[in-house]
Amino acid sequence: MIKFKLNGKEVETSAPPTLRLIDLLRDEFDLIGTKEGCGDGECGACSVMVNNLVQNSCLIPIGAIECADILTIDGYSKTELFKILSDCYSEAGAVQCGFCIPGMVMASAALLSENPNPTEEEIREGISGNLCRCTGYNMIVDAISLAAKKGDGIW
Amino acid sequence: MVMHTVSSYRFESLEETISQLSKEDCQIIAGGTDIMVQHKSPRGVPAKFEKPIVFIDHLKELKKIYQNNQDIHIGACCSYSELLKHPLIPKILKVAIQQIAAPAIRNRGTLGGNICNASPAGDTLPLLYIYNAKIKLRSSKGERLIEIKDFIQGPRKVKISKDEILTEIILPEVQEEGTHFVFEKVANRRADAIAKISFAGSLRLDEGRIIDARFAFGAVGPTVVRFMDIEQTIVGEAFPLDNMVIDRVVAGFDRKINPIDDHRSTAVYRKTVALNLLRYFLKKRAFKEGHRIN
Repeated sequence: MIKFKLNGKEVETSAPPTLRLIDLLRDEFDLIGTKEGCGDGECGACSVMVNNLVQNSCLIPIGAIECADILTIDGYSKTELFKILSDCYSEAGAVQCGFCIPGMVMASAALLSENPNPTEEEIREGISGNLCRCTGYNMIVDAISLAAKKGDGIW
Repeated sequence: MVMHTVSSYRFESLEETISQLSKEDCQIIAGGTDIMVQHKSPRGVPAKFEKPIVFIDHLKELKKIYQNNQDIHIGACCSYSELLKHPLIPKILKVAIQQIAAPAIRNRGTLGGNICNASPAGDTLPLLYIYNAKIKLRSSKGERLIEIKDFIQGPRKVKISKDEILTEIILPEVQEEGTHFVFEKVANRRADAIAKISFAGSLRLDEGRIIDARFAFGAVGPTVVRFMDIEQTIVGEAFPLDNMVIDRVVAGFDRKINPIDDHRSTAVYRKTVALNLLRYFLKKRAFKEGHRIN
């Protein structure tokens, strides 16, 4: 049995230890907000927080997450911080097809929690592991910059 | 469907981990960022391994960073992000780590993992070669030290026994003052990319003369390469270097480096870029304020 915290709740699973975290989240816990893009750690669509650090859930064997605190987009979307990011992504027109957005939001959240007033370059570095094939990134960068200002003091 | 599963271990201490390794041939997993891709199964199916798994990324004993005299000791399971934040890690190594992957992988991948994965394109390896890094291995029988160039044997091949575990990476006599360093990586994308070619160089000067020169190239052969005989030929030369000296050094590497064609790049491109990076460092880069690490 592997025990860990998932979106604030203590959970456990008997799934095999080399199963990827993304498969466990989507198949066993029905948390389908987290997407699989490349499955190789190159696109960031599967980003989740592990102990408050953004990581690729497609690269994590669940045997390694014993006792960890996992936060997915489904849990994060219930927070006040998410509402700010969501509003700013809308306002900046940063969402087109939407597939990259759950991962992009987790990367944005990780960046802002560590650096509440990032420069444009720091924002681009913060989302450098997340691919978006629609927007050309500029609107996403604008959205994060806007979120930094609107949420000033709470990141 | 028959589910292929293997047993796995996640011990609370390094001692217990080592004790298990002495009893059974296991696959060690640290961050897993390379090995999970190499052993990937179809979606929803566990990654396939032939041997029992030992997870080690949580072991506190493998996360320490400390200084002993001039040497810097780095725990094998320190993640790239942890190294970036630590005051003892040399600045140029941080410059290289900043070019590895992206924040999500830097939060998971480990220095020990990068070494044991032994990719010819491993991003930290050229710098570890020019630092003459030593690898500390531990088993139930004791500890031993081995030079990184002897530890890495070829792609995915390292000189480690089944009962051993990499515990520390040691950077001997790190002297940043008075030394010009460079690390260059050429790849298709700035983030999350595997190098087509990488280069690390250092020149240590004293009163306008070179007293130590080191150059390492990644992704031009089965392992990172250094040629000490060529490095020796510019020790004692006045700096800035005469063009004839630079031509001679570049020609020396031209004869020695033999890259290959693969899906990532071509031999001709790799060789051309490798020599250009070397020439640029010898000619200009070492002067640039932004690349002087002191």
